Amino acid sequence: MAAPRPTGVPRSTLLILIAAALTLLTLQYRGVEPLGAFQRGVRDVIEPLRTVSDRVASPARSAWNGLLNYDDLRAENERLAVELARMRGRRLSAEADEELLERLLGEVDIGFADLDTVVVRILGTPPGNFATHTIEVDKGTDDGLAEGMPVVTGAGLVGRLESVDRARSTVRLITHPEFRVGVRLVGSQDEGLAHGGGRTGFLVIDAGVRADAIVGAGEVVVTSGGRSRFPADIPVGRVLDPGGGSDFQREIVVEPSASLENLSFLNVLLVTKERTFDPSVLLDPGERSR
Amino acid sequence: MTGRFRVLALLLTAAVLQATLFDEIRLDGVSVECLLLVSVLAGFHGGPERGATVAFLAGLLHDSVGSTPLGVHALVYAPMAAMAGHLSVRLVEGARALTMAGLVGAVMVGVTAAASVGALFGLHPVSGFDLVTTAVIAALSTLVIAGPTSRVVRWAVTGGLPVDISLTEGHAADGSLDR
Repeated sequence: MAAPRPTGVPRSTLLILIAAALTLLTLQYRGVEPLGAFQRGVRDVIEPLRTVSDRVASPARSAWNGLLNYDDLRAENERLAVELARMRGRRLSAEADEELLERLLGEVDIGFADLDTVVVRILGTPPGNFATHTIEVDKGTDDGLAEGMPVVTGAGLVGRLESVDRARSTVRLITHPEFRVGVRLVGSQDEGLAHGGGRTGFLVIDAGVRADAIVGAGEVVVTSGGRSRFPADIPVGRVLDPGGGSDFQREIVVEPSASLENLSFLNVLLVTKERTFDPSVLLDPGERSR
Repeated sequence: MTGRFRVLALLLTAAVLQATLFDEIRLDGVSVECLLLVSVLAGFHGGPERGATVAFLAGLLHDSVGSTPLGVHALVYAPMAAMAGHLSVRLVEGARALTMAGLVGAVMVGVTAAASVGALFGLHPVSGFDLVTTAVIAALSTLVIAGPTSRVVRWAVTGGLPVDISLTEGHAADGSLDR
């Protein structure tokens, strides 16, 4: 006997399914926890399989990338060689100029270096075709990670943990258009709100900074701390374009200090509580060091 | 194995493949849309109603393995499967080239619709040229696995039995004998 084939348009069934999907979306938008737990449960169930898949596919992926991206790797190698030479020159220049050295040291007087961290390895992008500006890392709640924790490298802020499973987490990168961070311009001490610039790879400060504030290209930008979820004084980047063309809205373009390309390992700062406002962050860096 | 267990096995296998094998094999950063393919084929082989139900579950699994809000893909996949089931009866059944073209079109529409619905519910919108490129690459790479997937989906949603039977000649519509 053959399976009967329904041929009519299943309006009632389809409407029920669409209504169910919209209900689920609405409930999750309101933060109904069992739905998130269900998703985490599904991911935890398939996590061992994904780990095996990652390990098996890693050599093949490296070979594939080497084959297809040879020109990119070569260009990257050349770029790093140029950067290394520039860094050497900068170091020599700093050694020759003690005052410059002190100022540079002031710029890298970063509080986050004292915080507890967990080193995580980057696994790649999350499954699916629309997870842009997010990456997956290989640790989760089993290692003490929680949603919202800042993710950094030695160079500065990289992003924050967006979702955390038992043994795997998703990081929202600072270039993600929905990423928000409170920042402070070290030179002018102005504070503002920055968001990711998407495909540009930059951040944009579009709120908080006075239209008449004097901001110079190359000025260091750090996290502002205070009520922000991020601790104060994590390097974010340097001002690329100080903006200032408009009397009403100012957009300052910031180049991230941490390169988001060819990363392998990251540090997650084990801080989740909202930090209390520290008035010393408003002082001049020189005064703070006294 | 009952029909429900077959469908459950199909969906879990497809979800695992989506999160493992097909997540590793990416062309220009775009992966195969395995669960969308299963949804469309479920509508094609099982008809609009059964296909929509299978596709709804496939969408929920996709949202779970891919960390998108629960319901985004379910909202897209169910109508896609119903449409595929409806069109397969009226238009394209039997013409292989047209079926493949329809499959490519369905995957492209599904990818585009999922991106649009996702943008409505807070996901970072992928738009313009990027979206077109993603949809085209996803559709073409998905087509590569369409043949074997079609057989498995057909087995799961119909129990391995022929879908249509020609009562006058005693042959299944796909040419096989109905024994």
